[in-house]
Amino acid sequence: MKDILKMVVVLTLICAVSGLTLAAVYDVTKGPIEYARLKNVKEPAVKAVLSGYDNDPIKDRVQIPIGTDKKGKPVNLVVFPAKKGGKTFAVAFEGAGSGYGGNIGVMVGFNLADNNISGISIVGHSETPGLGARITETQFTDSFKGKSLAKELTTDDINALSGATLSSKGSVAAVNQARGLLEKYRDKIVQGG
Amino acid sequence: MAVVKEFTKGFWDVLPPFRLVLGLCPVLAVTTSAENGAGMGLATTFVLVCSNVLVSLLRKIIPSKVRIAAYIVIIASFVVMVELLMQAYSYPLYQALGIFIPLIVVNCIILGRAEAFAGKNGVAASAADGLGIGLGFTISLFVLGGIREIIGNGTFLGLHVLGTGYEPFTFMVRAPGAFVSLGVMLALINWISARLEARKRRNAS
Repeated sequence: MKDILKMVVVLTLICAVSGLTLAAVYDVTKGPIEYARLKNVKEPAVKAVLSGYDNDPIKDRVQIPIGTDKKGKPVNLVVFPAKKGGKTFAVAFEGAGSGYGGNIGVMVGFNLADNNISGISIVGHSETPGLGARITETQFTDSFKGKSLAKELTTDDINALSGATLSSKGSVAAVNQARGLLEKYRDKIVQGG
Repeated sequence: MAVVKEFTKGFWDVLPPFRLVLGLCPVLAVTTSAENGAGMGLATTFVLVCSNVLVSLLRKIIPSKVRIAAYIVIIASFVVMVELLMQAYSYPLYQALGIFIPLIVVNCIILGRAEAFAGKNGVAASAADGLGIGLGFTISLFVLGGIREIIGNGTFLGLHVLGTGYEPFTFMVRAPGAFVSLGVMLALINWISARLEARKRRNAS
């Protein structure tokens, strides 16, 4: 009896202590892990669409609540601001549109002063290799550069890919979604950055 | 003196992958480059030293019937810690090592040392044992990774060492190359130790 009691107590104590320690380590590393993930996953895309900044857009990111998902959890839009001398002159964030094989995620950079697109970068897609997947090539993405935000883009505005209409349309839809978000939350996005 | 001996035995007498032939799963899988090998080795060393010290400290408190369960909890906690820390401060390495970090939990070297050594010896000796075995493991992985990287990719620690004209022998960085290089290393080490053994016997007689 005494043996069993000792076993239970010792094992419980060991588990409790390790649980507490892990919780503490998790708390400490939570921030750095999120930063490291964004830095490695998003930074290449952010770098591709923004230029001429002197801050760290990943570090200065702002979260803007844009509604809730099906379970009622808040959904945040992560905005990466580009600053020069402490002033935000451009922002980048992601939009999504449905292409041929699924959703196309596009990182879109916006010049705030000129009200145009500074560049786009495809961050995730499942389009057909050799056809729709050509949306990642620069001759396609570069054709978005400098387009005005005054009205929604259509495939006529850009260098749409022949043979990949749906992929081109999906990319444009993703950019338009991001444009819509910018329009809707412009004040928050500019202030937040 | 005893502590020094516990430390140095890990470099030759019980050199983990080649003499104990334990923990081969990560040895084969992550040694595609010297850097990955060293990273995995150091992560394992950290877990090994920490778990050895803690197991040794608690060896009189842990009832022997539940000792394995207690060891596993201790080891798993340290592994999760390493995983979180690596993710936070060395993300590319974390991506390269991937699933093999959580698998340190079931690396036989660690549980083996806890059971065979730390559960019976004092704290200082256990720490020395963990450090020695861990560093021996690290060096083995580093050397194996280096050989495979140089032959299979023409680079060492990411630097081109064989010139741009070298056509990489990619077989070496694939899975079969791991078995082949491990086998050659094992043979080499057995040959050297047989020679040492023979010399010792000759000197004695």
